Amino acid sequence: MTNRDPATSPIDAKAQVRRAVASLEGKAPNEESTTSDLSIDEELNLHSIGWEPVELVSGVSLFSTPVGLWNWGEGEIASASEAHAQAFKFATKRIHKEAADAGGHGVVGVEVERRVFSTHIEVTLLGTAVRPVHAPRVEANTVFVSDLSARDFTLLTVAGWRPLGLATGASFVYAPRRTVGAALQQKSQNVELKNYTDAMYSSRESAMERMQRDALELKGTGVVGVKVVEGPMSFAAHAVGFAAWGTVVRLAGEAHHSVRPTMVVSLNDVEVAFDAQSLR
Amino acid sequence: MGESPPDLPEAAERRLASGAFSSGLSVSDFGACLEMGLEPVGLVQGFCAMHQGNYAMGAGLSRSLSPYGGAGGGYVQNYQCPHGFISNEHRAWGQNYEQTWVQDAWSHGFTSAYQRMLEEATTLGAHGVVGVIDTETPLGDVGVTEFHVRGTAVKVLDTPAPTSSPWNTYLAGQRLAKVFEAGYAPVSIVASVSSVRVWAYCVTEYLMEGFAGSMWTNATNASSAVEIDQIVTAQAWSRQRVRSAARAQLHGDALHGADLRLVEREFEKGDLEIQAVLRGNRIRRFKEFDALPVPQPTVRLS
Repeated sequence: MTNRDPATSPIDAKAQVRRAVASLEGKAPNEESTTSDLSIDEELNLHSIGWEPVELVSGVSLFSTPVGLWNWGEGEIASASEAHAQAFKFATKRIHKEAADAGGHGVVGVEVERRVFSTHIEVTLLGTAVRPVHAPRVEANTVFVSDLSARDFTLLTVAGWRPLGLATGASFVYAPRRTVGAALQQKSQNVELKNYTDAMYSSRESAMERMQRDALELKGTGVVGVKVVEGPMSFAAHAVGFAAWGTVVRLAGEAHHSVRPTMVVSLNDVEVAFDAQSLR
Repeated sequence: MGESPPDLPEAAERRLASGAFSSGLSVSDFGACLEMGLEPVGLVQGFCAMHQGNYAMGAGLSRSLSPYGGAGGGYVQNYQCPHGFISNEHRAWGQNYEQTWVQDAWSHGFTSAYQRMLEEATTLGAHGVVGVIDTETPLGDVGVTEFHVRGTAVKVLDTPAPTSSPWNTYLAGQRLAKVFEAGYAPVSIVASVSSVRVWAYCVTEYLMEGFAGSMWTNATNASSAVEIDQIVTAQAWSRQRVRSAARAQLHGDALHGADLRLVEREFEKGDLEIQAVLRGNRIRRFKEFDALPVPQPTVRLS
C-alpha cells in the first residue's frame, strides 16, 4: 500500500480505467469471494483505517405476544416489552454467529428493522461483517455488532474508542382510562392529558434503563448513536411504546484521542453540484 | 457493428447503426464518464415478459398435497402438530418449501432481459454498460412479470475493440470513478432471488394470531412471549439462499454495494410467501489499494 497525496499527484483517471478494463481479459482471481452492502465511500473509509468487508450477514427473530394483550389495563404491558427484548436478543445472537462464522471481527452499518404488530414483534438486523485486512479469526465472544455506519466506525476508531455491541430497551405501557366525569369535563378545555404524558414518561424510563443495563453488561462506558421510536400503537391508541437502541462503546486505550475538525471555506457556489475537474 | 445477435429486433439494429448516441445518464454522470475516458454510445435495453407456470415441476397445481410431497428438489421442512388432535379446523401439519419454479421463472426472465441488453451493447461495439437499472413489473395477466434491464453502453477511449461480452455495473458517475480509483474493475451486475412458501401448522397459526400464552403454543410459561420458529426459519433460509446464489456468481470476485430486500405476502395467519432479492456489483481487484490518508473531520463555514 502506498499513501498518495491527492494535492501533488492527481489521478490519471483515463489510464486507470484502461488498466482496469484490460485486467478483465484475464481469469477471475482464485480467492475467497467477499460480499458487502457498503458503498464505495464506506469501503474507502474502512480501508483508511486498515479494515475490509468480509460478508453480508443478517439475523431475524419474531416473538408472539399473548392474546388480549393490548386490551385496556394499567401499568406496563410486560409481555410486549419482553417479546421486544427477546426478539432483539435472538436477532442479535444470530447476526453475531453469522459474522463470527464468516471470520469477521465485527459487524458495521447494521440496519435495524423492527415491526410491532398486535400479535407479534419482529426484529431484523442486516449489516456487513468486517475485519482488519487479512486478519485471522478471533474468538466469537470478541465479535461486536454495531449499527454505526462505516464512516462513524472509522471516526470512532480514530478517536481511540471501540464498539462492543448493540444495546436496546423497550417498554409498552397502558395510558389509563380517564373517568367519565374527567373525560366530559375536559372535552371543551385545553388541557394536558396526564394519563398519556405519564405513560410516555413511564415507558421512556423503563426502556432507557434497560438499554443502559445492556451497556453495562457489555462492560461499556456509554451508548452512541441512540435511536428512539415512541408513540401510541396504531392498533391500540390507549397504549404507548418507547424503544431505544444504539452502539455500546468503550475506550480502546488509555485516553480519548482528540480529533480536531479543520475549518474549511468552500469556494464553490452551493448551486454548482457537479465539477468535472474534481475527478482528475 | 458486429454480427446480429439472435434476439435483437431488426428495427433496433437499424436504429443503433444510425450514428447518434443516446444515454440514460444524468448530465453530471455523463460528464464524469467523459472524464474517465468512457464514451457513451447508446441507451441499451432488454425486455422479457415472463409467465410463471402453475404446472411447472413442483408448482402449486402439480405438487401433491401430502406434507411429504417435496418441492421440486428444493428446501423442504415439515412441522408436525404436537397436540395429537385431528379436526378439519386444526392444522395437523405445516411446511416450509422452496418455490423452485418461482425462482426459475424470475432467473429466466431477469437473465433474458439482461442478456438482450448486453446483445445491444455488443452490437454497438461497446466495452461496457454503466448505470444499469432493472425493474420488474407485474403485467395484467396473473403470474406474468415484465423484466426490463437498461443502461448506457460505453466505449473505452484509446483501447482496442472488445473481444468479450461487455462488463457492466449499476454504478455511474463519481461513484464509478471511485471504484476505479480504489483499485477495482467492474465485472457485472449480480442479482439473485429466493422464494419460500410457508404453510403454517397449528402452533404457527396460533402464535401469529397472538395466542402466545395458550396451551396450544407449547409455552412453558403462560405469560411469556414465544418465538415463531417456522417463520424465523423461513426468513433466515430465504436470506441465506439468496446470498449463496449471489456468491456462486462471483468466482473469486467481490460483491459490492449489495441491496437485499425481503417481501412477504400473507394469505392467512401464518400462511406466507416470502421472496428475497439481492442485487449488487461484482467487482475485481486490478491493483493493490492505494490507502487514503485517514479522513479528517471538517467544519464547513458558509
